[in-house]
Amino acid sequence: MMDNKTFIIAGIIIALLIGVVAVFLASGDPDGLESTALVVQGQKSITGDTPSDAEIEEDLNGKFAYSSPMPDYSLGESMGPAGGLIAIVFGTIFAFLIVLGLAYGIKVAGKSTKPNQ
Amino acid sequence: MHIPDAFIPIWQGAIYWIIALVFVALALRWARNEMSEEKLPLVAVLAAGIFALQSFNLPVSMGTSGHLVGGALAAIILGSPFAAVFILTLVLIVQGVLFGDGGITTMGANIINMGVIGGFVGFYSFKGLMGVTKNMPVSGFIAAWLACLIPALACAVEMFLAGTFPLQEGLVAMGIYHAAIGVIEGIVTVAAIYLITSVRPDLVDTGVKTTKGAGA
Repeated sequence: MMDNKTFIIAGIIIALLIGVVAVFLASGDPDGLESTALVVQGQKSITGDTPSDAEIEEDLNGKFAYSSPMPDYSLGESMGPAGGLIAIVFGTIFAFLIVLGLAYGIKVAGKSTKPNQ
Repeated sequence: MHIPDAFIPIWQGAIYWIIALVFVALALRWARNEMSEEKLPLVAVLAAGIFALQSFNLPVSMGTSGHLVGGALAAIILGSPFAAVFILTLVLIVQGVLFGDGGITTMGANIINMGVIGGFVGFYSFKGLMGVTKNMPVSGFIAAWLACLIPALACAVEMFLAGTFPLQEGLVAMGIYHAAIGVIEGIVTVAAIYLITSVRPDLVDTGVKTTKGAGA
């Protein structure tokens, strides 16, 4: 049976490989929610292709706006695919570390409050 | 299915956040009491895998693409819908804050749809189907497919309440697209369960192993 260390390394490598492949091969078509927005706005039929100039109209009145540091998993047009790779690799490792850190922290905190368990 | 900030008014987003936080608190309690320390690597690797898989949009025809959400996968593998809430909440925070994938005010709604509804639908339909069919691939596929479709329908209702989509048109389009995207969810979920149970059966709580033995 695979030990913990090998399991973590193998898991991270698989996740990173998926992310790297995604940068080059992921479909640029809108997702289900965006497609639905285009359908209800009359820019796309349900089963038809998405026109290349289709753009979701957003009513920002009463809505919150936020600019993320790496929008759309990229570091901007100038960086191209390299920026996408950096963003995905960073995100995958960050997701791993934040979940591991929080889960570990919760277990440690739980132990110190319940010394008998 | 990541709802951007522009799709829900702030006050409605706040209501979803409050509901989501109740489930997040329950998920933290699950992590403290139920999650064994041996499973920490699995939980973290699942989060990395789900993050990566969520960035991989695959075409599903109809000018649309979709990716794994992972609620069913996390819940089935770790044996609790709260595992899905725990992992998906953290993945959604990373996606929303760093990458602008899903909004900030709408994060509560996204946690409810993908983590809570996806996790609960995936977990309990898998459990029910396993009891009837004793077949992991069939149960996993249908459970994951439902865990993609039902949250999408919930999302359509939220979009209606927000005044972003008309109800019927939104339900029909969201339903059709996510019925197709759910096939990806089903295939990837079954493949991941198979892979993880093959290398580390001790970490997995699906009942697959027990059922296999009992069903022989």
